[in-house]
Amino acid sequence: MEITLALAALKVVGYGLAAIGPGIGIGIATYGLCVSAARQPEMKGQLMGYFFIGAAMSEALALLGLVLFFIG
Amino acid sequence: MEEALSEFVQEAQGLAAHFEPHTVFSIGGWDVTQYIVWLFIAFIVVLLVVLGAAKKLQVIPTNKFSNMVEYGYEFVTRNVAEDVIGHGFKKHVPFLATIFFFILICNILGLIPGFKTSTGAISCTWALAAISFVYFNVYGLKTFGFFGYMKTLCPSGVPGPMAPVIWFLEFFSMVIRVLTLAVRLYGNMLAGHMVLAVFGIATTCFLQQALFAGSLDLIAGLPSIAWFVLLVLMYALECLVAFIQAFVFAILSASYINMATHAH
Repeated sequence: MEITLALAALKVVGYGLAAIGPGIGIGIATYGLCVSAARQPEMKGQLMGYFFIGAAMSEALALLGLVLFFIG
Repeated sequence: MEEALSEFVQEAQGLAAHFEPHTVFSIGGWDVTQYIVWLFIAFIVVLLVVLGAAKKLQVIPTNKFSNMVEYGYEFVTRNVAEDVIGHGFKKHVPFLATIFFFILICNILGLIPGFKTSTGAISCTWALAAISFVYFNVYGLKTFGFFGYMKTLCPSGVPGPMAPVIWFLEFFSMVIRVLTLAVRLYGNMLAGHMVLAVFGIATTCFLQQALFAGSLDLIAGLPSIAWFVLLVLMYALECLVAFIQAFVFAILSASYINMATHAH
């Protein structure tokens, strides 16, 4: 009983740890998009594409953590 | 207060079971879960919306409803397809608009109390992600051929000895796209609805404690007001998330199509 509880708790902690990096990464990506769109608004459409690719890539790590939370 | 808290914890622990798919009825050995039922309802709603809007097409639409749907299509064309894919975006617009409208209507249906969103079931989002995955891979293979497509996975300008390593990493990140597309949508919808459910349970638990626990205890009911305000705020956030997730799914599909069909 206690081991199951500890495992469940550790899974949640693990997912929380896995979400730190992607959170910082997406924050930096959004910062970059905002700054560059403010400097050159006409580039915004093109930059959005790069932003979403980058955000999806770093978010993939958090999502892998979520998957491990469900299957682990 | 104590009883309300313990009741809340007890109710919240049984919450995950409510989100498990359970069989509503079976046809010829196929189990139809409640999510599949809502999937078909979403199909019908999408058909009604789109066909209803397309019934009388005008150059300058005077009908407000068809104007709204046309705005959505225009949005996908301009902000998703043209901005992200660029050259040769026209033939991908119908696919992206279908994905966008279907996911948007699924998500919005789930926000109506008592309704379920079929995108909150992993099987549905796997299917959507698999459709998108097959679509961009087929277009990539069509554009470059098998070996050409495999070569475009590795960015040009990588020094020779490093190329196989980079190629493998890129190939891996290409394959897990199907997983990330599916899990992003599923996780967002499921987690959002669970948060709404937790706040709803908290509101009712504290309210029950205040009204029906022997003596009328209004102080014990005060937290339920705070929970209700949080519930309303989260509901507003979920309305935003319902749109954003549909948009993100469409724009990521567009990015993947762009990466597959244009050498980089």
